[in-house]
Parts: sequence; structure tokens; C-alpha cells
Amino acid sequence: MSAAVSIEGGCFCGAIRYRADESPSGVTHCHCTQCRRHGGTAFQTWVSFEGGVTFTKGGPRVYRSSARAERGHCPTCGTPLIFRYVDQAPRISVSIGSLDAPETVMPTRHYWTSEALPWLRLDDDLPRRQRQ
Amino acid sequence: MTGNEIHDGGCLCGALRYQVVGAPIWVAHCHCQSCRRASGGAVVTWVGYGEAAFTVTRGEIAYFASSPGVRRGFCATCGSPLTFQSTRWPGEVHVTVGTLDEPAAFAPTAHVFYAERLPWLHIADDARRFAGSGTGAS
Repeated sequence: MSAAVSIEGGCFCGAIRYRADESPSGVTHCHCTQCRRHGGTAFQTWVSFEGGVTFTKGGPRVYRSSARAERGHCPTCGTPLIFRYVDQAPRISVSIGSLDAPETVMPTRHYWTSEALPWLRLDDDLPRRQRQ
Repeated sequence: MTGNEIHDGGCLCGALRYQVVGAPIWVAHCHCQSCRRASGGAVVTWVGYGEAAFTVTRGEIAYFASSPGVRRGFCATCGSPLTFQSTRWPGEVHVTVGTLDEPAAFAPTAHVFYAERLPWLHIADDARRFAGSGTGAS
């Protein structure tokens, strides 16, 4: 019997907890301006699960950030938690920093390098897309 | 950057806008676990200013007391992390580089809490790496 995958995470204050029961389908560094604003970071890193995640405690406040996408965060501590395309349910992406063990998932690609900050150079051989 | 250069910034949804004046005290990548959790990102790049240089020009920042002496500001509507203030850096406000309108103008010159970095993250630059906060205090 193979070991079941269980990847857990949540916000800073602990009000929101989630669990994924599958391996990520992709781990994406996104350099787009929207992700930069959403996380406040130079770039964001999203961990995608085709089958979605289960919220085991609480749930994110959702903000419709564009015609195509929703982003969610914790209303108590602000942690940016999720990104999803509204027409791709149940697929969801969680922010890498919200994982309990971000060191255990390996990034697989860069998106939106056309909008990457000029002073940021990430040293890796991952495939890069100017858009996505 | 000159002493009277003005930069604007704000959250993703636009409810919060702020302004910073003059050159920042410092710009650094923070690799600490707290900043990762608070931003959702692999690393957070902070731009440090004296409190007098920072003004909120629209909206009201929501705050979370993430640890003793620390408060992190964010937008309650869209979640954007905006500010960090700590008694460890009295009189300073640190803003997230990603919420500035022109983040390209703020190249970091240091890494702090480098000892807590994610093992697969390799930022190629010559900036000094500090295992901890980089200040005199531990």
C-alpha cells in the first residue's frame, strides 16, 4: 500500500488551515505585477493542486482580482493564501509560504518573466515563460 | 535616489495607498520563516524608512500583532502585506517592495535571516548575507 500524500498549511495566526491529499501538479514562481502586489514580495510562488484543497479550519476571504481569477487571504492576519482561476475548479494554488513545510516542495517553473524585476536573479535551470 | 524623491505604493485592490519620501534607509531580502508565512512568498523584500517618511494617503491599514513588539500591516480587502514595524527597529516602518508602484527602483543590498532561507532558493547577487537581523543586537 503506498503512503497517502498529505500536505498541510495555513495562515500565520492559525485561524485558517488547509490540507491537500495529492502531490502538487506544479510549483510556480510568478513574476507578474498582480502577484507582486498580492504578496508584497518581489515574486510569488504558488503550489498547485488539481483536485483542490480541503479547508480543515476556517476559510479565506476571497477577492476577485480579475475577470479570470480569485485570490484569498486570512482576514485576521492578512496571509495571502490562495489563487485560483474561476473556470478551473477544483484546481487551486496555495502560497508557498503558507505551507507547513515549504522546503519539501520543489519549484518547477517561472511564469511572467516578462514582468520580472530587473534586480532579481534566481539561479536555477527551471523552464521560464515570458507569460504563462 | 535623492532626499526629496517621492514614491507611491498601495495594495492590489487599491483600497490602501501610501507614500514614502526620500531614499530608504535600507533594502533587504528577509528569509525568516515569519515573513514567509505572513506574505505567502519564498522570501520578502523590505524597504526600510523612518516613520516620518511614510504616510498613508488612502484607506486604513489593518494590523496583526505577529509576535511581541511587532505589528504587520495589510489590506483587509485583498490581503496585500504592506508594512512591518517592530520595537527592535524603533522609529522605522518597513514597506514591502511589491506594493511600491516602482519596485524596480529599489534594488536590495542585503539578505537578512539568511540562515532560515529555503534550501532551493538561490538569489544570485553580491549582497551581504546576514545569518540574523544584521543589526548589532542579536
